[in-house]
Amino acid sequence: MRGDHVKGQSWTTVSDLLVYTACKYPGKTALIYKGEEISYEQLLVKALRVACWLKEKGLSPGFRAAILTDNPIEYLSAYFGSILAGGISVGLNIQTTPRALSYFLQDTGAQAFMANKRFEATLKQVLTKGTGAEIIALASGEELTDILETGDSAELHLLPWRSSCDLAQIIYTSGTTGKPKGVCLRNRNLIANTMSIIEYLGIDSSDRVMAVLPFFYSYGNSIMLTHIAMGSTLVVNQNFVYPNKIVEDMLKYRVTAFSGVPSTYAILLKRSNISSYSFPDLRYITQAGAAMAPSMAQRLQKLFPETKIYIMYGQTEASARLSYLPSEHLLHKPGSIGIPIPGVELRLLDEDGRPVPVGEVGEIVARGENIMAGYWNAPDATQKVLKPEGLRTGDLARMDQDGFLYIVSRKSDIIKSGSHRIAPKEIEDVAMELRGVSEAAVVGMPDPILGESIWLFITLEHREGIDKKSVMRHLRRILPAYKVPHELRIVEDFPRTSTGKIQKNQLKQLTALN
Amino acid sequence: MSDIKIKIREFIIENFLFGEGGEELKDDDSFLDKGVIDSTGVLELVEWIEDNYQFKIEDDELIPENLDSINNLAAFIAKKTSK
Repeated sequence: MRGDHVKGQSWTTVSDLLVYTACKYPGKTALIYKGEEISYEQLLVKALRVACWLKEKGLSPGFRAAILTDNPIEYLSAYFGSILAGGISVGLNIQTTPRALSYFLQDTGAQAFMANKRFEATLKQVLTKGTGAEIIALASGEELTDILETGDSAELHLLPWRSSCDLAQIIYTSGTTGKPKGVCLRNRNLIANTMSIIEYLGIDSSDRVMAVLPFFYSYGNSIMLTHIAMGSTLVVNQNFVYPNKIVEDMLKYRVTAFSGVPSTYAILLKRSNISSYSFPDLRYITQAGAAMAPSMAQRLQKLFPETKIYIMYGQTEASARLSYLPSEHLLHKPGSIGIPIPGVELRLLDEDGRPVPVGEVGEIVARGENIMAGYWNAPDATQKVLKPEGLRTGDLARMDQDGFLYIVSRKSDIIKSGSHRIAPKEIEDVAMELRGVSEAAVVGMPDPILGESIWLFITLEHREGIDKKSVMRHLRRILPAYKVPHELRIVEDFPRTSTGKIQKNQLKQLTALN
Repeated sequence: MSDIKIKIREFIIENFLFGEGGEELKDDDSFLDKGVIDSTGVLELVEWIEDNYQFKIEDDELIPENLDSINNLAAFIAKKTSK
């Protein structure tokens, strides 16, 4: 059966996924990007060149290597090269600002940094001010290209030995406290999750996946790892500004797989010509990030009648996959996020850690080899979610009689907009830095494309204070583009509790009514 | 054509750059490469074009060749409105 061959694989580190595949399928196309095709052998050589360069810098195993590039060939070479050299890969969001970049470099204590030419101006600003991080190995623009194309290659047997318990990667995710937190993933976390996903999706070397999601987020990361592990081909176009270009690639390369978040499918259905074509090779599509509305499920099944559709759920803290809805249940378990993936246990517990009865609401608590080691340099935050009973996800759900889960709500006020998780506090703090802003509250409002759009409400210190344009200009200057609010309202006051705290739920309800 | 370019530039600066950085944006700069517009921003841009120039943009016309710079946009609008 498809997927069964993954059992018995003995990968120890994440870089083994590339090395073993390159040995087995050296000439196979690993990646297609802007018409350029790279084989597995070529990708491994580039990764080994990065590893050699890093090794020559004398970095000790466990060093953090920050990667900032929108070029997937550069990204994968740097990602695997860092792990091969004994480091921890830290892929950064390309929608960045000097302040955000400075934070990430300082927080990880990055000792290596590889960046594309496009980010050199931002990098220069950050380095001029000083990051607090001592970057020993720095390569950007042409330097990085030179390393990948002509650098010396490391000998595999001379590279540092790493165990399955060592950290392979840190992925930053937003939390309730404002500043993003680095989710530390061990080799064994990522490998366990990779194997489980390969098994239930039946991924093999004949697959060609349309990769539209960024690799620096956990969903895109797992698409990348699962397909490289199996020797599949990644057709990469991570720019969704022009969805017809994605459709073109899907047809040209006869992709067998596609993965997206809810807004991906909303944009494809609303503003692309996808419904003019048929995709006989498309074996499966996946959606994660939210449950799929029944109407959307029906539309997609009609558009792709021979294609299996899988809804999935997870968290970066779980590498990321936790559950999936088998495709045969899509239409008669509407709104469900499915059942635990192989190797993962999911329970619904109350605040005291007791299982809730079937049909009642409890918090999803997860256990498995895929659960993170903790948050980087944040033991208090780690202790809040990694409990003796498992990973407390913060998602409230109920289970039906057949064991299928349905998300009810989120405990935190994290906004899920497109493929991004956004902490309201981070935006509120930035808004309040502007002179004249008295208070700020950010909420997520339902959006037909994004899932949730970001709404910012502010009160002013003086009636004739600042205008909306200057507020937006200030936010855009400091925040990455995906965190800039979609709507801004200047209000007289907020709905409050008896103790004066802003009541965000009421604010959302009042906004929806208006 | 130059009138169209001026209007486009004003719209982009007003709605995506919030009044800043306009002098740095050249007519042939790719909005994509410069990070000026994201996937939902394109929908806003499309709405503005359709409202202001009174023609419908078909799904298969949503391509960078038509929309991804001030020059491309102006040429596309000029072509569609001259028919």
